[in-house]
Amino acid sequence: MANYDVTKAIDVRGEVCPVPDVETKRALKKMKSGEVLEVWIDYAMSKERIPEAVKNLGHEILSIEETGTSEWKIYIKVK
Amino acid sequence: MAWTGLVIGLIFGIILQRGRVCFNSAFRDIMLFKDNYLIKLAAFVIGLQIITLLLAAQVGWITLAPKPLNLFGNIIGGYIFGLGMVLAGGCASGVTYRSGEGMTTAWFAAIFYALGAYATKGGLFSGIANWSKQFNISVDTTASVYPAKTGPTLATIFNINPWIPALIVAAILFWYSFGTKTTERPSKLNWRWAAILIAILSPIAWITSAASGRNYGLGITGGWVSLFEGLLTTKGINWEGFSIIGIIIGAMISAILAKEFKLRLPKNPKTYLQVMIGGLMMGFGAMLAGGCNVGHFLTGLPQLAISSIIASAFFVLGNWTMAYILFRK
Repeated sequence: MANYDVTKAIDVRGEVCPVPDVETKRALKKMKSGEVLEVWIDYAMSKERIPEAVKNLGHEILSIEETGTSEWKIYIKVK
Repeated sequence: MAWTGLVIGLIFGIILQRGRVCFNSAFRDIMLFKDNYLIKLAAFVIGLQIITLLLAAQVGWITLAPKPLNLFGNIIGGYIFGLGMVLAGGCASGVTYRSGEGMTTAWFAAIFYALGAYATKGGLFSGIANWSKQFNISVDTTASVYPAKTGPTLATIFNINPWIPALIVAAILFWYSFGTKTTERPSKLNWRWAAILIAILSPIAWITSAASGRNYGLGITGGWVSLFEGLLTTKGINWEGFSIIGIIIGAMISAILAKEFKLRLPKNPKTYLQVMIGGLMMGFGAMLAGGCNVGHFLTGLPQLAISSIIASAFFVLGNWTMAYILFRK
């Protein structure tokens, strides 16, 4: 398990498309530079789409960790 | 021969699941996230099918069946369908294949979508659907690829050989697909291959469906209605209904093999209410419009049917309206 200094964590497992993407963007907007956001997802498409969208906004993907069957935590460092 | 729908549906379900093919996302992502990944898939698969379906019709394997133009139904129904799919969290094919992936919200969206469509076809909402049929416009044609009476297409409007608009529109779509920048996404089955596979499957689907007595290609709405009819009446299930069962099972197998199957539950139970309302709107809208994002968009646009072009434009407008309301901030 990654050991980041997580500033904020959101659990968007089970939410309909595109709530995970939108909640991630909303959370990032309220955070300060250097802080770390943890996004807990359970849909494979989110694992492909959220990191690309986040990178396009200029933030850094620290890592994507599998936490169970079709469950991942994405760690994002705010730019 | 209706069982062949099951086989076609299985393959379609696997492609949808592996390619993450959702038209609700395709429409919304370009507006909301400036992400064109899925709309490129859509443009490419329509361009390819313009060729594959017309070729199959030209050699006499199928007869195209452009849907009749109905400005009232195409516009109003299309817009309501577009609004509904955002609430439902997926388009007609999206909620169908996601049902197989274990997305519980998709189950409710799909069942209420089917209910809405069934009620509009022969139940509570059938009055408005029947009333709107008076606005149906069909034209006479001698082109061999169409039936003698057909919904208007770009070819019949300009009274030209169907290959002329087909090649022009396909060229524009191919240029968009490959001549512009694409948003990155590391999907295993990338957008090009997903599009190619669907474009090959599409005429085969049409041939097998026609052999069962249903002259049309891939569709979703009629399939869900047929499943309900098969369940609630003694009518039996048609090709399209079997294809729905196939899509769900295909997506399920595909998801299980990829370790992506999971019973997914939203934390707020109100989400179920939202997807049920969305599903009902989709069913009503699709039935009024004469098709959903598969019947009109995926299969109707390649025939360059005017009805499908108008309905698709309003699917997109409805989608953008609701996505803007819910997700802009």
